Amino acid sequence: MRKIYIVGALAVLFSACKPNVAITTKPSPGTANFANYLAIGSSYTAGFSDNALTVSGQYNSYPIRLFEQFSLVGSDGPFIQPYVYSDNGYANPKLVLSHKTYCNGDYRLAPIDVPNWNADSRDSPFVSTANNGQINNIGIPRIRAVDYMVAGFPLINRWASRFYNNAANPATRPLDELSFRVRTQHPTFVTMWLGIDDVLGFALAGGQGDGTGAALPVAGNIYNSHDISNFNAFFNAYDSALNTAVSTSADGALINIPDILSLPFFNVIPVKGLNLTRRSLVDSLNAKYPSATREKAFDTGYNYFIVRDHNGNVRQAVPGELILMTTPVDSILCASWGGWNPIPEEYVITTEEQQQIQTAISTFNGHIFNRAQLFNLAYVDMHNYLTSFPSGFSYNGIKYSTDFVSGGTISLDGIHPTQRGYALIANKIIMAINDHYKATIPQTDVNKYRGITFP
Amino acid sequence: MKKRLLAASLVLSAFSSFGSGYQLNLQGLRQLAMGGTGTAWTWDAATIFYNPAGLCRLNGIQVYASTTLLMPSTAFSNQVNSGTETTAIRSERQNFLPFNIYVGGPIQQDSRFALGLGIYTPFGSGLKWDNNWLGKYLVQSVNMKSVFFQPTISYRISDRLSVGAGFVYAAGSFDYTAALPVHGVNGPGQDDGTVMLDGSASGVGFNAGIQFRANEDLQFGLSYRSQVNMDIGRGNANFTVPASLKDSFPDTQFDTQLPCPGVLSLGTGWRFNDLTLQFDLNYTMWNAFDSLRFNFVQHTGSLQDMHAPRHYRNTLTARIGACYKISRVVAIMGGAAFDPTPVVNGFVSPDLPDADRYILTAGIAIKPLPGFTILAALEGVSTERRAASYNYGGLSGVYQTQAINPGIGIYYNF
Repeated sequence: MRKIYIVGALAVLFSACKPNVAITTKPSPGTANFANYLAIGSSYTAGFSDNALTVSGQYNSYPIRLFEQFSLVGSDGPFIQPYVYSDNGYANPKLVLSHKTYCNGDYRLAPIDVPNWNADSRDSPFVSTANNGQINNIGIPRIRAVDYMVAGFPLINRWASRFYNNAANPATRPLDELSFRVRTQHPTFVTMWLGIDDVLGFALAGGQGDGTGAALPVAGNIYNSHDISNFNAFFNAYDSALNTAVSTSADGALINIPDILSLPFFNVIPVKGLNLTRRSLVDSLNAKYPSATREKAFDTGYNYFIVRDHNGNVRQAVPGELILMTTPVDSILCASWGGWNPIPEEYVITTEEQQQIQTAISTFNGHIFNRAQLFNLAYVDMHNYLTSFPSGFSYNGIKYSTDFVSGGTISLDGIHPTQRGYALIANKIIMAINDHYKATIPQTDVNKYRGITFP
Repeated sequence: MKKRLLAASLVLSAFSSFGSGYQLNLQGLRQLAMGGTGTAWTWDAATIFYNPAGLCRLNGIQVYASTTLLMPSTAFSNQVNSGTETTAIRSERQNFLPFNIYVGGPIQQDSRFALGLGIYTPFGSGLKWDNNWLGKYLVQSVNMKSVFFQPTISYRISDRLSVGAGFVYAAGSFDYTAALPVHGVNGPGQDDGTVMLDGSASGVGFNAGIQFRANEDLQFGLSYRSQVNMDIGRGNANFTVPASLKDSFPDTQFDTQLPCPGVLSLGTGWRFNDLTLQFDLNYTMWNAFDSLRFNFVQHTGSLQDMHAPRHYRNTLTARIGACYKISRVVAIMGGAAFDPTPVVNGFVSPDLPDADRYILTAGIAIKPLPGFTILAALEGVSTERRAASYNYGGLSGVYQTQAINPGIGIYYNF
């Protein structure tokens, strides 16, 4: 029965070999120590999303994603964040996608404040139940690097007042909070993402204030939050925070400032958005605005909006200028904003203001890069990474971009990431850490998390 | 303004349908057992597929039926930028039963003419991943089946030379499901949108060949099976999405075309007493599969025609096989083949990830009664471990596919 034997042997052979693509590279921390992780930063670090701090946003912050991956290479838990109780937004309602009727009768999906929102007294204060009251993510919405030196900061920032040690003391600075955390928790690894809000406030206000980085404090060492931070004050505050953060010889990563003007908040409403359908309206606008105030004559179809710039001049916008997402759409549709009535300057970012924003970002990023080198820390070039977003890229079958709603990465406020956006950010940070520390920390599965939720 | 607010345009990047190696090569059990060779030598009525020129060499009319059980398994693990592989996933177990039926032979004793009909399943694929696997937005499951009907005529020009040709009518079916990257209030994993496509396909082609007998113990064969374009017209496209997006993703219909590539085969066979050796080369014109298009009948801002580049390359497969006749009743076969992949790197999609295939085969033929033969064959297929990417969908990883395919068949000579 030789032939039976041969067939039988083959059967055994093939059933024994199942396809095998087992893991070949073990996760390794490289030269870094991830035992105790502390996250420092602003809105992005706190998990702010849909224009509010919510518990689900916090549960999906990039520091959480990082901690999950760090725990594969020796990070000890627990990783405590100052969780709010409510999922509807602290201390203001979050945005949700819902149908909305516009003044002209249009009925379509748009971000609206979550209905029936009430402040929830259980949201504040937060007291950690962990050993020595540890908190591993001290990201505070809207905090600037320059705020780190401001005494009494928790008295003017409701997110800080929720959990800061000694929050009621008018002498307490964010730097003191950081120092307290470092002293009591001895972090071995820190990530620091400060600087976004040192330019973002200026951009969100449509470019109010000085804009040159030379602004003086409005009182004490408090700077106007609608202006670009004073450059020297930024350098000083950033260095103070960094020196404190790594004072226990921690390893870490410094994250730079992305190109905020590529976010949907500044691009959803096109500057060439004045739709003229009637000839009579075209003629009356041409009569109203002398040719010196516009690039070319109005015509039927889409025209550049009429805006008031920061010098008080009423003129037609030029290509490249930006209209903010917060501009009341009903005013454009039904109150002749951008045509008969100029769009107010607080909704317009002029070419000059954009230049000021870019100069500030590159100045701050130059400093952050320099400090990463000086302190031998990983440098996460988020600015460069986010430049790939506007055109879109595919990740495990989803095409991501910064397009509003459809792009999947940026939440309904047009500024802050979705859960998926935060997971992509975590992966970018992991890549930089792996590079710098010769580590092999696996990436997180971005698609598991939420993008935009549709009703 | 605000016109961009809800242009929820999606990739559906995959839409890859059925992937590469969807050629089955299981059209005769004796030939399968001999590494898939059979262009030069006429063993049985399966020559209607392997080389129609052999049909006139049969001794009388033969009725042939066989089936093969396919049990493929594919494993995947994702490769991240650091080079760390994290997620090992295996496709769900599925069984397939491709079959072959042949009837034919010389129309009467000593006639130069032969007629026949073949019904066989030369192309097909099926792959089912867990609904929540890493690549779910590219594919969750895909299934392609085809049945070819081939009426055939063969003519013996001389003792040395014979020719044959058949017309091919192909019928088939196609279905595909994937998750859509939009989700409702319960989030991804529970509340993903889905797309389901299904349709029936048909196409035509031909199969022609020539066989040359240098002498009783040395033969050559050349055959060409034409490309068959499987047209799917007005298939169903169904979308499950959150209510607010239903207008953007209306249930509609789609058209597409899936090419079954042409194959040029050259073979030879030598006989030394009771041992026959065969060697075949198949040149498969996969470059017909340059891209995959799905054209929807109804379009919206979110639902546009899909176009996924594939850029398959032509392949040359080498096959070798042997048959040893132990007695008048029993013969055993063995063989091997190397089947290189048509899929170039950067285009390896998870609907049927392909890689170079290594094939080992064995089989037995038993003739318990005059004119009646029982065939059994076993094929083992393994791909190399392939680290590959699908750039269009942004998915990269390491794949490996293995299968053991047992088959059984019978034929009877009248």
